[in-house]
Formats: sequence, C-alpha cells, structure tokens
Amino acid sequence: MVTNVTNFSRSGLYDWMAQRVSAVVLAAYFLFLIGYLIANPGLDYAQWHALFSAQWMRIFSLLALVALSVHAWVGMWTISTDYLTSMAIGKWATGVRFLFQAVCGIAMFTFFVWGVQILWGI
Amino acid sequence: MILFVGVAVLLLALDVSLSSVEGFEEVKAYLGSPLAKLVVWALLSALLYHLVAGVRHLVMDTGHGETLEGGKLGSKIVLAVSAVLIVLAGVWIW
Repeated sequence: MVTNVTNFSRSGLYDWMAQRVSAVVLAAYFLFLIGYLIANPGLDYAQWHALFSAQWMRIFSLLALVALSVHAWVGMWTISTDYLTSMAIGKWATGVRFLFQAVCGIAMFTFFVWGVQILWGI
Repeated sequence: MILFVGVAVLLLALDVSLSSVEGFEEVKAYLGSPLAKLVVWALLSALLYHLVAGVRHLVMDTGHGETLEGGKLGSKIVLAVSAVLIVLAGVWIW
C-alpha cells in the first residue's frame, strides 16, 4: 500500500480504465489533426485560427488535454514504479521516485494550464 | 519520455502558430528547415508506434492474441504496421 499511495486513483483497475478511455480520446484527436493537416496542405493562418476558435474544436481540444494529463500521469507513474525501485537504484529509490513523480506532475499541470491559455487566448 | 517532452514542443508550435499571422508564418518557415523536419519526424514516429502498440493493447484486452504464438505474431504486426506508417510519415514531411 505504501508504494501504491502515489498512483492516480489508488485503484489499479480504475487506472487501467482511465488509461484506455484517455487513449481512445487521444487517438481520435491525433487522427483528426493529422487528417486535417494532410487534407489541407496549403493551410493559412485564417483557416488555422478559425479551426481552433470553433466551439466544438475547443471542447475537443480541452477533452484531449484532460485525456493527455491523465494518460501521461498513468504512463509516467508506471515507468517510475517499474524502474525507479530500490532493487534497480538502491536505498534512495523512494525519494528519487517521489521526486520524479513530482516533476512529472508539475510539468503535466503546467502543460494543462498552458494548453487552456492557448485555447482560450485566441 | 520522448512523447512527454514532445508535448512541450507541440504546445509551443501551437501557441506561436495561433498567436498571429507572423507567428503562423514563423512556425511554417521553421518547419521547413531540415532539423525541424527531423524532430517532427522523430516525434511522429514515436507517436505512431505508441498508437499502434496501444491499439494492440486494446485488441488484447478483448481477449485476442493472448497466447504465446498470438503475442509473437501481434508484436510482429505492430512493428510492421508502425514501420510502414513511419515511412509514410517521412514521405509526407519531406
């Protein structure tokens, strides 16, 4: 339980579900954006600006941003608990792992706020 | 990890490209440079591989390809499909 206390929901099953639901959202958003860029090779600012100003695109983007935060956290948490263990790196593992998770959490939160500013700043 | 850092690069590009006409042209011009193309290609490659491997996870969640043979076949399919997509991404970028 002690090593589990830093996970997203303190439930592996819930994390498992969150990872998959967020994955589907991110896949949809990625495929849409790539498809849009491929379909519009001569993209100009007005068109690009109009796309991200549309209400549905803001909602879609915000949804993707929330999904990204969840997905990245579950992923980084998993990496840290798989590899930053006392067996792999010694007795400071708990501190190192916590620090790594804190940095990831702060970075992800920064990405989220930045993303919201981009979406609502235009 | 690459994807995590890549998010910052993509957000920066989005931020500048949406800020103004000049910003948009700046990003467009920058994306024309060989180094930027390489970075975008590397990012897209990581993303595509992650996406394909993720889809395989979802397929396996439904109970398909969970045997040893199925697992080996699945990993080969993931590598093959990813390789094709990564090459296509390279063709698109250059």
